[in-house]
Amino acid sequence: MKRVKKFFKEDIPFFFAFPAMLWQILFLYVPLFILFGYSLFTYVPVLGKNVFSLQHYLQLFKPAYFKVAANSFWLAIETTVICILVAYPTAYFVALQMRLKKMRTLFIFFLMLPSWMNFIVQVYAWFFLLKKESVLSLLLYKIGLTSEPINMLNNHFSMLVGMVYCYLPFMILPLYSVLEKMDKKLIEASADLGANRFQTFKKVTLPLSMPGLLVGLFLVFIPAFGEFAIPDLLGGAKNAYWGTIIVDKFMKYRNWQSGSAVGLSSVLFPLIVIVSLYGAYRLISFLRRRNVYKNVGSK
Amino acid sequence: MRSIRLENVSKKIDGEVILDNLSLEIPAGKFFALLGPSGCGKTTLLRLLAGLETVDSGKIYLGDQDITNMPIFKRRINTVFQQYALFPHLSVFENVAYGLRLKNIKEDIVRKKVYSILKNIRLLEFKSKEISSLSGGEQQRVALARAMINEPEVLLLDEPLAALDLKLKEQMLIELIDLQDKFKTTFVYVTHDQTEALTVADRMAIMNPNGNIDQIDTPKRIYEFPRSKFVASFVGRTNIFEGILHNDNDNFEFAIEGLGKYVVFTPEKKSWMMLGSKVLMCVRPEKVYISKKEMTGFSNHMTGIVDDIIYYGSSTQYRVLLENKKKILVFEQNDEHFPQENIDYYDKVHLYFQKENVVLLEY
Repeated sequence: MKRVKKFFKEDIPFFFAFPAMLWQILFLYVPLFILFGYSLFTYVPVLGKNVFSLQHYLQLFKPAYFKVAANSFWLAIETTVICILVAYPTAYFVALQMRLKKMRTLFIFFLMLPSWMNFIVQVYAWFFLLKKESVLSLLLYKIGLTSEPINMLNNHFSMLVGMVYCYLPFMILPLYSVLEKMDKKLIEASADLGANRFQTFKKVTLPLSMPGLLVGLFLVFIPAFGEFAIPDLLGGAKNAYWGTIIVDKFMKYRNWQSGSAVGLSSVLFPLIVIVSLYGAYRLISFLRRRNVYKNVGSK
Repeated sequence: MRSIRLENVSKKIDGEVILDNLSLEIPAGKFFALLGPSGCGKTTLLRLLAGLETVDSGKIYLGDQDITNMPIFKRRINTVFQQYALFPHLSVFENVAYGLRLKNIKEDIVRKKVYSILKNIRLLEFKSKEISSLSGGEQQRVALARAMINEPEVLLLDEPLAALDLKLKEQMLIELIDLQDKFKTTFVYVTHDQTEALTVADRMAIMNPNGNIDQIDTPKRIYEFPRSKFVASFVGRTNIFEGILHNDNDNFEFAIEGLGKYVVFTPEKKSWMMLGSKVLMCVRPEKVYISKKEMTGFSNHMTGIVDDIIYYGSSTQYRVLLENKKKILVFEQNDEHFPQENIDYYDKVHLYFQKENVVLLEY
């Protein structure tokens, strides 16, 4: 009986999940490990062979890289913050205020629609909206916000617009899915116990949506750190970003070993930042909770 | 404690009329049950009291205070929700402390109050547990504590025991009665389960499927003297006969086609009790005496053939086919180890009931 149960509960799902897992391992983890292997070796011309060294990682801490890392972190932070500020109210409204399931599905469909298009096409679409002769810039001029049609391309603003536009769905979707699954009765219960809307949001909705926020953070912050195309195309390639270095290492210098190290660090750096922030958050809430129960049973 | 008064309250949800011109007074400090079938609007009524919905028209008063438009978080009315709606991200302690924390009450007072109420519901050792690790009955008690700790004037309970099994339900009913006794808070208990309502209520209201209140009275009077066909058939089991009213000096005479005439005593005469008019007569199954032998001393008599027998242990239910091809239910207490007579399927039986144990209803 137990074996039959195990068969249906574990073996069959495993059987169907196996191809996907195999795919993931073969085409994601194996190449990643190969990259990791590359990054640990350095070609020494004198010896004419590759030697094990951590040089490619150590060089990342040089001042020249520091400026680039700071640029990228700042870009990732800006993108993530704007994404959260836009995504949270949107997801909240759709998940909790739209009562018809059909309407919610429709909204998610239109949200996802542009992301199915080629990434480069999405970016170029913004060229036509932000350039000097664009509809948008003419509109701003006509309603008198600008004295002449202006060029909104190739600056920090246009870069952020592109970043937020591309990454927004990855913040909205996880937030929407946790908020939609949330028991709406909890909001009613909170109000019933005397909480106003703001208190309910702070004490119930926000903590319960933390998992979604965290997933969104991973999906936006980490890739935003390593982003190459948008700063290059919409930002006018004025500043160097971490993604720029990766491309340069591979394409310009043809140094795969160094490129691998930069590439892997584009994931590792932001990951370390998020994990340590989250760890600090957990530690604080743990200490706070321990404080509450300190005198357990003494009264 | 203050009473609650609803005056001509109407409410539509998605264009559908749920409550229409409803008036109701809930006495202060009593255990009040609102009993009605599923979908009759009793939960809507509760949500209006809680402030989770607003009335389309009409007024709601708490004592003399008009609370019709008072926002939910300002009302001193708390709710125990049907599925409890406990906060999954908070511990038992924090769930119970929720209402107090909102009022910025000092930490040591919060702790004292929460501990005292947790002790009361025997959940003190569960204080740091997560909600998901509790059983249904424990969650129920946490929900109760979370609401009661705010010392509400009115506690609303929305089918609070629906998810519990029978034994636990009976135990919780007694705990609820004790709790109400102790705090004298006005309890408004909404349910579709008549046994629950009859058990707990000091007074109860019966809501019919159209969202109107048919009768408000003590459980005993509701059961013994139902005022409408719906109340009679919804609360407990009953036999309802159609017939014509005739006079017989002090008592009425009730003629059922194909059966005969029966004597009926009514304590008060209503305007619709006119001679020659069509009315309904109700007899509760336990008020009918069943025997194979002929008896004397009863005002009314019927004969029939046993059609079905269900043995419940403490009592036995007989379904008897009468001469007019209608069926009647009869309960007999099994108070003898060796009963004097054994009634079996297809036995011819005599049924007796007293004229005082009958209720007349408007057709």
